[in-house]
Amino acid sequence: MAEPEIQQLLGVGLIEKDTNGDALWVWCYPSTTAEMRDLLLRKCCLTDENKLLHTFVFGQYRRSWFYITTVEVQDSSVLKKVTHFSIVLTAKDFNPEKYAAFTRILCRIYLKHGSPVKMMESYIAVFTKGICQSEENGSFLSKDFDARKAYLAGSIKDIVSQFGMETVILFTALMLKKRIVVYHPRIEVVQEFTRTLPALVWHRQDWSILHSYVHLNDDELEALKTCTGYIAGFIDSKVSNRLDLYDVCVNLADSEITISQQAKEAMTMGKLHKEIGQLIVQSAEDPDKSDSQVIKDISLKTKEILTNLASFTEVSDDGEKRTLNFEALKQKRYPPATENFLYHLAAAEQMLKI
Amino acid sequence: MDEVDKILIHSLRLSGTQVPEEVQSLQEFTTELIVESVVRCLRVIHPSLGTSLSHVLPPGMSARFRIGTSLAQACQELGYQAEVGYQTFLYSSVPEIRRLLLFLVEKLPRDDAEDARQPAGKSAGLLRAIAAKIKEELGTPWVPPACRTPRLQRLQGTCLLKPFHAHPLVLPRDSGPVERREFFGGFLPPVPAQPPRPGTVAPSLLERHVGDLGAQHDWEADWQSQGLASRLPPKEYVQWKHQRLRRRLLDQLRQAAPPHDTAGPPQPGARDLAELLSAGGAGGPLAKGSRFSHAQRLAHDQELVGQMQAVVETLVSSKTSEQEVQARQEEELAGLRGELQRLEAEMDAVGGEVKVLELSLSQAEAGLRQQRLALGGREQTLQVKSRALELLPQAENNLAKLQLLVESSAQRLVHLAAQWETRRGPLVDQYRHLRAARHSCQLESTRRVSEIQALHERGRSAATEARRKEELCRQLLTELESLPKDVSRAAYTQRILEIVGNIRKQKEEITKILSATRALQKEINSLTGKLDRTFAVTDELVFKDAKRDESVRKAYKYLAALHENCSQLIQTIEDAGAIQREIRDLEEQIESEGAKKTLANLERILSDYRALRQENAALLGRSRDP
Repeated sequence: MAEPEIQQLLGVGLIEKDTNGDALWVWCYPSTTAEMRDLLLRKCCLTDENKLLHTFVFGQYRRSWFYITTVEVQDSSVLKKVTHFSIVLTAKDFNPEKYAAFTRILCRIYLKHGSPVKMMESYIAVFTKGICQSEENGSFLSKDFDARKAYLAGSIKDIVSQFGMETVILFTALMLKKRIVVYHPRIEVVQEFTRTLPALVWHRQDWSILHSYVHLNDDELEALKTCTGYIAGFIDSKVSNRLDLYDVCVNLADSEITISQQAKEAMTMGKLHKEIGQLIVQSAEDPDKSDSQVIKDISLKTKEILTNLASFTEVSDDGEKRTLNFEALKQKRYPPATENFLYHLAAAEQMLKI
Repeated sequence: MDEVDKILIHSLRLSGTQVPEEVQSLQEFTTELIVESVVRCLRVIHPSLGTSLSHVLPPGMSARFRIGTSLAQACQELGYQAEVGYQTFLYSSVPEIRRLLLFLVEKLPRDDAEDARQPAGKSAGLLRAIAAKIKEELGTPWVPPACRTPRLQRLQGTCLLKPFHAHPLVLPRDSGPVERREFFGGFLPPVPAQPPRPGTVAPSLLERHVGDLGAQHDWEADWQSQGLASRLPPKEYVQWKHQRLRRRLLDQLRQAAPPHDTAGPPQPGARDLAELLSAGGAGGPLAKGSRFSHAQRLAHDQELVGQMQAVVETLVSSKTSEQEVQARQEEELAGLRGELQRLEAEMDAVGGEVKVLELSLSQAEAGLRQQRLALGGREQTLQVKSRALELLPQAENNLAKLQLLVESSAQRLVHLAAQWETRRGPLVDQYRHLRAARHSCQLESTRRVSEIQALHERGRSAATEARRKEELCRQLLTELESLPKDVSRAAYTQRILEIVGNIRKQKEEITKILSATRALQKEINSLTGKLDRTFAVTDELVFKDAKRDESVRKAYKYLAALHENCSQLIQTIEDAGAIQREIRDLEEQIESEGAKKTLANLERILSDYRALRQENAALLGRSRDP
């Protein structure tokens, strides 16, 4: 029997904006904390008067993912005083496509019936059985949406075409588990960009470092600071003044990457990085290669580097982990930038002797 | 006419003419008096015109003649339209004189118009006096110190100037603890005694007053514009403003604070500030490192300094020969250099160690976090698996039961959700309805707030207006009391109004009479026309029959005679009326001529003419004899 998939859904909620201009949290199941409610009200675009409508946004907060679909109500007979509403889904895993499809179905159900009870039925159906009937004579099967597909959905080629050789800075930062901050005034662009970045370190397949939609709010920044390395997406330009929040700052609007002062020493780049950069650019520019192939090429190179690093490790005393033998590394007499990089990489990969 | 004369005489007295007390009307004005009054008026109206003329009439006839013509010219230059010549002054008639004097008195400049333009009040008067004095002092030219008179020295020297040192004053307040109130009551010295030097009393008072006034103005302006609009009570509004200010300050500080820097020597002040803003967190290990390196560097510096001091001492105290001294210095220098290198190497090593430790620390922290998460996940799976294990023996049954259980709880949840919906729906609607009501209430209250502000404004402006008017009223009353009582304006205004009323009534009567006359004339015209037409018809009619009948011929003759006589009658009446009108006109003319006292003037003219001829002859004779 195949491994039954554990449902990762945590909850569903409904936020409405009415004719008085208030955005209210009107319904949720099973329950949400006040903190989450505030956060999600901030994230859904109904609280600001002149903000544009963002159809679908997602992000992470303290290890739980939220997915918000917003819909404008067009003079429906069922929902009288409501001008817009958002359906919020919280889950433990990263899968924007799956939850986007699911929230769209829930939106349509709510638009048609005007009552959350019907939504609840579909939600429980998906929660218990993994399947629910959609309004358009189809069905939503949660097993159609694979996690791996979500990881590979972004386009690495776009990133390389925007930044060229500077992509290697992003690669280095991700390898060394540094803090990356991405800024663009439009959230859709930020989300698209940040979701693809962890693919550069495919050997880890860790999307929990991704926080694609963060506001400059004390609670969220507190939560962000508890992670060692992260990719955080902002739409507020003031984030570039917050030097305490990042090691690398990416300004998508101006296509600029800046490394902050405190990380410059760790991020010094040398011949090895030039090699890697050239490989990335070449691979991405090849029109025959698909995105997943580019990612594969990059991961091959990463594996090479890691094997090289592993050659300097020795088995530790209790026989479980491999720890770095610094003298061995030094004896190889690499150029200082490469040595520095390998040393920091060992720290990131938990290979240092403590 | 009496009143007019009285007013004229009064105005002439004001302009400087010495009109004797018994002269009550223009009738009694002599030629000298006339000339004097005209000249004085001219002097007041137009000083340049009047100064060349003397107000005393000279005895000589030609001189009199000359003065007369020049006066007439001056009056014409001023703009007098009617005919004026030397005869107006020397051989005067009352109506002409009255007209001329009225014209001149009209032209007299009005003093009260200027007064009204200046603001009233004692303080305004004081300000005006201050302004005049300052203007005068600014007008005096600067004179070097050596050449100054005592008065100029007082004005332009600096000895009388005092420096503006303000001293903070303590004013008693009613609120506060009991001890403070006791202090204010019994022990606080009065305000003029508080500053240490008497010269600082005035500046301190000014400073305090300006500060209080400025604060009061600012608060009022702020409260009027933003405070009322924010709808908070004053204390809360002040608090809100404080918080907003603090937030802004924090933002600014954050932008200006330098980032964490472990490379160069960190300044203690900047580091503390950055720590304050970043609230610990990820900056922890780095800060420790910087503190460590900082301590190291400080120790190193202190060592170096100590060594330098020792070197200096040895240099100073040694009295041996120069060569020995040099050798010793070089030795010490080499030793110090070696020391420096050793220390630097030590520092590098320690720095490297610090980095290694930092990395290990971050690695350890990351490892810890990962382990914790893994632990949480494993605990959950453990729970699930243990439950599954319990249910495993009766696998099929339990599976079916679990399915049923899941379905039934799903249904129950849906049912509960439906029940909740029935409760929730109306509540949300009610909430929305109340919000809409509140919104409309808010609109209403904004409107009222703006009305209140407008009322405030109006109240304030009305208060200032009332104050100003009161001042003006008081000042005018005092002026009124000080004015001479010989001319009662009220009586005059009353009389003028009466006269105006009378004139209006007369005008009405005249219009009535005119309309009656017109109607009468029309009637006459129509009757005459009718008469003519009737006569023509009758004439024709009778004439036709007159050829045949004798009696009709007689009747015709009588008719013609009647017509003739009646027309003569009418003519006579008209003539009589015309003659009566002529009589009235001639009577009027006689009256006006009579007032001109032409005979007396003629006699005077003749005598003057004779005197002039004599003077001319005398002058001729004098000019002929050298």
